[in-house]
Amino acid sequence: MLKSALRWWSGILAAFLVVAVLRLVMPLPFANEIVIFSIYVMGHNFLLGRVGFISFGQPAYLGVGAYATAFYLFYFGYNPYAGILLGLLAGLLVTLLIGPLFVRLRSDYFALVNLALAVIMYYLMEKVLAGITHGDNGLWFLARMTPTPVLDLTNPSQFFLFTFFLALLLWGFYKYLDETIYGACCLATKVNEDKLQFLGYSNFRIRWLAFIIANTTTALAGSLYAVYFGFVSPEITSPHRAADPVVVTILGGVGTLYGPLVGAIAYTGMKDVLSRVIVNWEFFVGFLLVLIMLAGEKGIWGTLEPLLRRPLPMRRPLPAAENRR
Amino acid sequence: MTADNGEILVVEGLHVAYGESKVLFDAHLSVRRGQLVTCVGRNGAGKTTLLRTIAGFLRPTSGSIVFNGTNLIALRPYQIARMGLKYVPQDKRVFSDLTVRENLELASHASGDYNWEPVFAHFPRLKQLLDRKGGYLSGGERQMLMIGRALLGRPSLLLIDEPTEGLAPSLVGHLQEVLKELRKTTTLVIVEQNLPLVSAISDKIYAVREGHIVAEISDPEAIRANVCERYL
Repeated sequence: MLKSALRWWSGILAAFLVVAVLRLVMPLPFANEIVIFSIYVMGHNFLLGRVGFISFGQPAYLGVGAYATAFYLFYFGYNPYAGILLGLLAGLLVTLLIGPLFVRLRSDYFALVNLALAVIMYYLMEKVLAGITHGDNGLWFLARMTPTPVLDLTNPSQFFLFTFFLALLLWGFYKYLDETIYGACCLATKVNEDKLQFLGYSNFRIRWLAFIIANTTTALAGSLYAVYFGFVSPEITSPHRAADPVVVTILGGVGTLYGPLVGAIAYTGMKDVLSRVIVNWEFFVGFLLVLIMLAGEKGIWGTLEPLLRRPLPMRRPLPAAENRR
Repeated sequence: MTADNGEILVVEGLHVAYGESKVLFDAHLSVRRGQLVTCVGRNGAGKTTLLRTIAGFLRPTSGSIVFNGTNLIALRPYQIARMGLKYVPQDKRVFSDLTVRENLELASHASGDYNWEPVFAHFPRLKQLLDRKGGYLSGGERQMLMIGRALLGRPSLLLIDEPTEGLAPSLVGHLQEVLKELRKTTTLVIVEQNLPLVSAISDKIYAVREGHIVAEISDPEAIRANVCERYL
C-alpha cells in the first residue's frame, strides 16, 4: 500500500525536488514566480491537453482571483489566507456562471470568446470600475496584510513554501483526475465528442466541469500573485499577456503532467536571463515555439520524457502478447 | 403515437434534410422486440442518415420516432443512449488515446454495467488487448470494441452501421455469428451492404433508394432468395 502510494507520488515529488533544489541556487522571487506561474498554466494545460480547448482569455480568470483577493485585503480584511480563499471562491462562482455559455462553443470560438472576456475584464478594471480598482494605479495592500500562523504568507520564504505545497497538491489532484473515469471522459470528448454521446455521456457537463476546474485553478494563481506582490493593477488581466499560458503550455508539453512546471521554468528563465541582454526577448520564445512545433508539438517535457525513461525503463504490461506468437 | 404489437421502434413519416438538401423522405419503419432488421441500399441512399436520426444526432424536419413508447424527437443523443438505444457508427473510430480497458470502463460507468464477461464471450480477442490503446487496434478489433462497448448496459435496441465494411472475410464470418448470437438477447437494426450476410441473418429488410424506403421484405423465403437486390 505504502509502496504503491510512493510510486504514485514519486513523479510529482521528483519534479518538486527539482524545484526545491533550484530554490537553493536561484533567487527567491524567481522561485516564487515559477511556482505561481506553473499553477497558472496548470489550468490551461488541463483545458487544452485534456478537453482540447485553447483559451486566449486566461488573464480574465487570473484577474477574477487577483481582484477578489485584492478587494478583500484592500477594503475589508487583513488575513491573506482569507483573501486567497475568496479569490478561489470568486473563480468558482464566475466559472459556474459563464461556463454554460462558453463550453457550448467550438474550440476556435471558445478561444476568441475568452480573449474577448479578457478585453472586457481589462477595461472594467481600468476604466469602468476605476472608482474601486483605482485604475492603473492599482490597489496596494502589502502593508495591510497581517502575519499569519503556521506559514506566514507575508514572509516571502514562507510564502514560497505555501505555494510549493499548494502546487504539489494541485499536481496530485490533476494526476488523480487523469486516472478517473472523468479524466477518460475528458480525453474522449477531445478526440470525438459524438462518440461519447453514443455511450450516454453529456459533453456539455464534462466540458463545464473541466472549465470550472481549470479556470478556478487560474483564479487561485491570481490570488497568489495578489498576495505575493501585495498589489493588483489591471495589467494582470491585460489581453497583451493572453498568449503567455498558451505559449508556456505548448513550451512545456501539452497535456503532460510536468509540462506546466517545465514550461514555467523555461519561460521565466528565458525572460529573466534574456531580458537582461536583449530587449525583445520574446523573439527567442517565438523562435523556440516554431522549433517545438516543427519537431512534433511535444514540447520540452514531451521531448525529454522518452530520453529520461530510457536509462530506467518502466515496467509495462505486454498487450496482446498471444497475438504476436 | 404508441409502439404496439411488441414493437420496440416505430418510425413514421420521417423527413430529414441537411440544410436545403433533403436526404430522407417520408420514411416508415417498425421493429419488433427480438428482431434483426436490416437496411440495405447503395452509398448515399440515406441509410446512415436514418440511423443517425434515430440515435438523435440529426433533427428531422418532420415525422416521429417512438422507442419503447417514448417519442425521441428533441431528445439529445446521450439521453437516447441512456434509454437503452445504442448506436455503433460506421467509421470505426474508437477513443484512440484510451486503452481498450478505458474504453470499456467509460461504457461501464455510463451504463452502470461492470460485467464484461458477455462482451468477452462474443469477442474473446478484446480480453487480450485490454492494455492496448485504441489507436493501435486493427479495423476488426476496433469494430469489436465498438460493439462490445455498446453491449454494456444490455441495450434493448442496438443500431449498427455497416459492421462488416472493410473487414477481412474471416472476421465477417465471426461477426455474422456474433450478430446471430446477439439477436437472442437484444433487438438489432443494421445498415449493411453485404447482401449474402443480410439474407442470412435478417428477420426483415428495408431497401432504401435515393432517400425513400422502397421495399419492406419480411417473408423469410423472400429474404433468403435475396429479393432485396431487385430494389437497389
